This record gives sequence, structure tokens and C-alpha cells, in this order.
Amino acid sequence: MVVGEVAVETDVVVIGGGPGGYAAAIRLGQLGKSVVLIEKEVLGGVCLNRGCIPSKALIHTAGEYHKLSSLNKLGIQLPTGKSTFHMSSWQTWKSSVVAQLNNGVDYLCQANGVTVVKGAATFLSSDRIGVETSGDFETYKFKQAIIATGSRPFIPPFLKTDGESILDSTDMLALDEVPETLAIIGGGYIGMELGMAFAKLGSQVTVIEAAERILPQTAAHLSQEVLKQAKQLGMTVKIATKVEKAEVANGRVTLACTSVKNGSESITAHKTLVTIGRVPNTGELGLAQVGVEMDERGYIPVTSTGSTNKPHIFAIGDVTPGPALAHRATKQGIVAAEVIAGLPSSVDSPYVPYVIFTEPQIAGVGMTREEAELQGYSVKVAAFPYRANGRALAMDEGEGFAEVIVDQESHLLLGMHVVGADASNLIGEGVLALELAARVEDVALTMHPHPTLSEIWLEAAEAVLGHAIHIVNKSKVAVNK
Amino acid sequence: MVEFKLPDVGEGMHEGEIVKVLVRTGESVQQDQPLLEVQTDKVNAELSAPVTGIIREIFIAEGETVEVGTTLLVIDAGTDAKKEETKLPEKVVNPEKTVNFAPARADYRRSLATPYVRQLAREMKLDIELVTGTGAAGRVTEEDLRQFANRLQKAAPAKFPATATGNERLLEASTVAVETEAVVQPKTGSATRVATSSQGEIERLPLKGIRKKIAEHMMKSVTIIPHVTSVDELEMDQLRALREKLKSHADKRNIKLTFLPFFIKALVIALKEFPTLNASIDEHTNEILLKRFYHIGIATDTPEGLIVPVIKDADHKSIFQLAEEIDQLARLAREGKLTMEHITGGTFTISNVGPIGGLQATPIINHPEVAIISLHKMEKRWVVREDGGVIRWMMNLSLSFDHRLIDGVTAVRFTNRIKELLEDPNLLFAEMV
Repeated sequence: MVVGEVAVETDVVVIGGGPGGYAAAIRLGQLGKSVVLIEKEVLGGVCLNRGCIPSKALIHTAGEYHKLSSLNKLGIQLPTGKSTFHMSSWQTWKSSVVAQLNNGVDYLCQANGVTVVKGAATFLSSDRIGVETSGDFETYKFKQAIIATGSRPFIPPFLKTDGESILDSTDMLALDEVPETLAIIGGGYIGMELGMAFAKLGSQVTVIEAAERILPQTAAHLSQEVLKQAKQLGMTVKIATKVEKAEVANGRVTLACTSVKNGSESITAHKTLVTIGRVPNTGELGLAQVGVEMDERGYIPVTSTGSTNKPHIFAIGDVTPGPALAHRATKQGIVAAEVIAGLPSSVDSPYVPYVIFTEPQIAGVGMTREEAELQGYSVKVAAFPYRANGRALAMDEGEGFAEVIVDQESHLLLGMHVVGADASNLIGEGVLALELAARVEDVALTMHPHPTLSEIWLEAAEAVLGHAIHIVNKSKVAVNK
Repeated sequence: MVEFKLPDVGEGMHEGEIVKVLVRTGESVQQDQPLLEVQTDKVNAELSAPVTGIIREIFIAEGETVEVGTTLLVIDAGTDAKKEETKLPEKVVNPEKTVNFAPARADYRRSLATPYVRQLAREMKLDIELVTGTGAAGRVTEEDLRQFANRLQKAAPAKFPATATGNERLLEASTVAVETEAVVQPKTGSATRVATSSQGEIERLPLKGIRKKIAEHMMKSVTIIPHVTSVDELEMDQLRALREKLKSHADKRNIKLTFLPFFIKALVIALKEFPTLNASIDEHTNEILLKRFYHIGIATDTPEGLIVPVIKDADHKSIFQLAEEIDQLARLAREGKLTMEHITGGTFTISNVGPIGGLQATPIINHPEVAIISLHKMEKRWVVREDGGVIRWMMNLSLSFDHRLIDGVTAVRFTNRIKELLEDPNLLFAEMV
């Protein structure tokens, strides 16, 4: 570090080029601010390079591969001989998808006048930040800063990842071969998504979950559908089981596990994936230099505008308390940028949708029945099954259901949840409906295109009102609960 | 098709009587052409057509009283031909009116509005949670925001004017905090105007800032509290001698020793013996609040008007400490540097107008306190002592008290006690803690 070095002046620095940071930087550029976007690795962050996008590329591939076995039923005769999957070729394709998106972000940053600086950032004072670039140290003087450094997998010390046998999700997506056997520690959404994908691609998968069920954050009746499919894919699911030790020998990992039900047992696999949570990247930013407060777990508390205890420093995305979801980060990033530019924006919505790319997919927004009742609502709830939807059957996707939860008194929508094919795309309608404060009648009276999966919302809404067309409705009394 | 609903034409009106219907079904109307006359308890208004078109249906009759938001008639503006065929209901009543919907607060229980309306509220600097929605199930509409803003502007113009002085802002802030107003009003300039009426020249000044606050506060106090004022006369010779003696000591310590610290000392001793004078009344719960702390407000004149800084825990402070604190608070008040902390929490107020003059007064109690003392000019008077006329330094004291809580006998006993303590200040030391 050169002392007394001249600092480059800018309006705003954004630290971290993930879906929150780059959106904030672009929006700031649109609003006429000079912006420096500091990224340690590659623009796009975990989401684009090591998370959402690569994992969805794998999940899509696994789904396509898996379908080959059921094509026979549809009358398609494949040439004899076993189909094979080459993960190294998949890597090439995946890289091209990621590269295309990287370039897109890069281009958009340029087009909006965002200066991208590659390097690791550390706050030097309340208005200066240093960036260690390859072989240099640059200093920037800013008026406002946005911290968007994201999160990384949480790896407990006794499960030290080695990139060979004990892997985190990043390592897993960088494999060149499908492991013969795979143990996954943590049956949350990342573990189940990747576990099911590798099961479809031919791995013998064992999922070890410490809680009483997989996907513990999701309503039980929704995750039940996923458990059913996991079993059909030949996966072993061990619930209420704790991993106590991991030993690597001869290219195998042996996990020592305990559970109340089975006592001690050991599980051996070629690879072990650790997906037990994520931790915020706030430790090495020099936040103490600026006086930005963190909670005991390292998250930075923020207001609805994204500002920290220091009004000119903002934090967005996974470094803030709340679900680690890219769309939350993007929204926070845009709001922070607008607030910096003097606009009265706010992250004012409780409707943060979730999507889980398991088999079948789960997606939802708003409250579950349990949450609504806990909040003191009297609710009406109705579900509509995929198997009563023509399109679903024509796609050979009859598993799952959509569920609508409404306030009994006002009929306002409280929550919409769906488990089944393409749930991730279907939830868009739910988010919009809840955000617009729609009533169940608004959905029921809206014409939905036929034949599409979206009709399940129409019918679930009608079912709440006791008059769905394609199922026999329960008596009003039963529906009223 | 344009549904023409009864708008809120006056502040917070809920319903109006249709006095006259000026158009007929089938008639074509021009934009801004009068359609109806409506009377509310406040105003008589003419409602005119929002668009040019043909009156398709009229749902109300003359003499009928309807609620705000009720559809009065439908105008076909000729823009959407399709809907023309749709049979309109006999009468569009708002079915949501029957739904008992409690407005939402925390988390998911937020007020109902679309993201656009929420953004609009922020742009208008309104707290959407305070706006009553008239839309379906209590949704807040754009129109609701506008009406809310209009009402606020009428109710409280020029909140936080940019030119407000320190004291003004402080008082504004304290009132706003009390009223839990969540709205920052746009600035509205109000200049001085001079007009000449038939009687002569009148200068019209805006009633604003501290002056307005004082006006409101006084009005509130006299409206709520039945005031009674009792006046007594005190002999000050001994106290004057004592002060004279202590003054040289005070000067050494750079303390400006006035009579006020002695008055405060005597007051708190008396207050401890007469708890109902250091109290307030909770009108909502019908309870008497006896306060076991003695925070004495000192009515202070500032360039912008009266302000009352408070000496906290006056019973725990020495004469010199009180003198120092009075001096400091008075300076802060004149410089407009008092903070909320300085002007809140008082339990009793002293108004010391004696140095200026005046024989007696009927001071207005600083609500929610229940009594106030004003101290008047000290002067030599011819008085009778031991059946002979002598000249003594005398001072009048006026006590206004809340007759809801304090009866005349108690009040006079209270002032007797103060009189006793000040006429023989040795007693002050005897009672000192």
C-alpha cells in the first residue's frame, strides 16, 4: 500500500458484482451517478457463476436425461443400447451459458457507465476504500457505498472441504464425472436439488438431514411430494441424523453418523457434499473502520431503504438478515440505488417468493396455512391437483398440487403455494396477485389460458369458493374449516 | 363507461344529500357541465361531469342521502363500445362496506395497496398505514392518497417551515411527536400582508411557529381546566437580606444569584407537603397522577415568545446549583438551543414576571400540570405591623390551580406555606435535604 496515494473520486462504490451489486450499479448509472463496481472474481456473483444458473443447467440436463427412460411409454423407441451422460461435455455447455450471461452483465455495466474494478475491497475510512487488484492497490473516495458481498457455504471445521472428496456446492458443479456414490450432508433446498439431479444422472445418493424432515423450511405437505419422488429415484433419506466425523481414505469418504432411531452408523461414499447453510461475507471488509454494525452472526442489519447504522453505507442481499435469495438482493440493490439518488424507494413488501428446483419443483409466496393461523387469521384453504389439469397430463406431469390460502372474512389472498411441474414459473402469478392485494375472486374471475398449467390457480381459487369445475368440491362446511 | 361516484367535497365528509339532479338519462353532457348539486353539513357543492359523453343511467334521486364513494350515475364517454352492452346493475352499492376489515400493520398485516400506490405514497411523503382506504376490502387508492394529503394540508399548513428557528422546530417536533403525526408537510410560504380596511390600516401576520403553538396550548389548557386564581402578599425583607449576604459568595463562584432559586426551593418544600399540587389528571382513565418527582418549569421569554425550560429534580439541588442551572437554561432558550429534553417533563411551573412589573395576574396553567405560580413586582409598601405602620419590601404571588383536583382551602394553605418559608428563609435551611 502506498501511503498518501491519490484516491479516485466517485459518487458510489458497490462492493460485489452479484445479482444485487450489479443491479444496483446499473441503476445508479441510469440515475446519473458515477459508480465503481468492485468484484473480487467474476461479475454475476455466486448466482450466475456457481449457484442458481449452473445448478439449473445441471438440473435441466438431469431432467432431460432422466426422461429418456419414460419415452417408451410415449411411443418413442430409442436405438438399443444404454444412453450415457458425459459431465465433462456438460461442463463445456454450462461454461458457455455462464459466459454468455457474464458478457451480458459486463456489457450492461459498460453501457450504463459503470466502472468495473477487479480486486478485493477493504474500507480504509468512512469515505475511502482500498482495492487490491492484481499487483496494485487502488484507493477510491466515495460519497456512498453499497455492500453486496454475498455469502459462502458454511462448512463446519470437522467437515473440512478438500475439493476432492468432501465438496461444497461450487466444487460439486465443477465435477467432470458423475460420482458413483454421493453422500449429501444437509437436506435443505440446495442438498435436495443437487441430490435429485445427481440421482437422475446415475449416482447412488444418500441425504443426511439433522431435522425431522427434508426441506425443513417448507410446509410439510409440500415437501412430502418431493420425498415421494426422492424414494422413486432410489435415493436414501436419513432424517434426524447427525454427522459427527468424516474420514477420507482410498478415495472414499466415511461419515460417522448418529440418530436416535438407528444409533451409530457409518455411511461411505465416493464424494460427500456439504450443504448445511451459508454465512455472510462480511469478515474481511474492514467494516470496523467505518463503524458499520453487524449482528452476532455477521449479518448487517438494514432499514427498508437498505441503509446500515451509518446512513451513507448501504447493505443488500445475503449480507443482510433474511432469506439468501438472488431476487431479494436485486430488489434491495435497486432500492438502495434509488434512495442514494434521492428517490423515495423502499423494500416494503413481505412477499418474497421462494422456488425450489427439486423433483417436483416447489414454489410459493405469502403465508402457509400454519403461518396464517398463527397470525390470527381464520382461513379458507383449497388445493387443486395436477392430475386434474389436462395440460399436466399431456406433459406426463400429473404429480403435485396448487394451494391457495385466503382470509375467511375478506377473501383476501394470504398465500399461494405450488408443488409440481414448472412450479417455479407458475408462482409469478401468485406474487403479482398478493402484491396487488387481490382477493381469491380476482383470480377465480380471471380468464386463464387453456390448456396450460396456469389453470391450476384458477381452479384452486374456485375451489376455495366451492365451485371448481374439474374436481368434485368438498361441501362448503368442510371448505370453511 | 365512466362511473361517477360521490367524491369527498369537504373535509372528511362521509355522506351528502343530493339536492338537485340537473341531467336526465340519455342526455349528452360536456366535460365540466354541472350534473348534480349536493349538500353536506359543511358545504353546498355543484358536481360537474368529468368527461364528455352521454348519461346512461342515474342511480340516485333528489333528496336522497348517499355515502361518499357511491356511484351516482354512469356516463358513456364512447370510448369502449363493448362494455355498453353489459347490463349495469340496478344500483351499485359498495359490497365491501359490509366486510369488517381491520387495517393491517406488521409484516403481512400491512395496509392494502398496489406497489404503484405505495410508491406514490412515498413520493407524496405520506405514511400509507395512516390512510383509510375506500377501495375494495379497504384498499388504499390513488384518490385516497390525494384526499388524505388535501385534508392534512388544510388541517396543518406549514409544518416545519424552512425558516423555523431552533425553538420553533423544537416545539413543532414536540407537538408532532405528541400527535403522532407521521407526515411531513410540504412547505407553504405565508408572507406578511398589509391591507387597508375602511377603519384604517391592518397588518395581517401569519399565526405560526411558536406563537401558534402557544396559542394552541393555552386554548387547550383553558378549555380543559377550570382555573381559579388566589393572590397573596409576601414580605421579602429577610429574603432580600439573605440574598445580599450570599451574593458575595455567589459572585466569587461566578454565579448569578437571583431570587428565583429561593422561590423554587420554597416551592418544592411546599409541593412535598401538598402532593395534589404536583400532579396531573388522566382524563382518559379518570385517574389522578401524583408525581413523586419535582421538575420545575421556568417560564422564559425568548425573542419568539414564551418557552418553558424545566429544572429536573429541583428538590435535590442547592440554591447555587439552581442558580447556575437557571442561568444556563435561560441562555440556551434565548439562543434557541434548547432540546426536547430541556422542555419536557415538568410537574409545576413558575412564572417570574416580577422583574418586569405587574401587581397580580391570573396565569394559565401549563397543561397537564394542575397549578402555576406567578411572582410579581417587589416594592416598598406601607404595611401594618404590631398595630403600627411600617415600610416593608412586599411582593404579590398569584397561584392558579385546577379546581377539579384542588379546592380553595388547600390552595391557600399551600401559598401560606410558601409565604412562611420565604418570609423567614431560615426555615428554608431547616427543611433542606
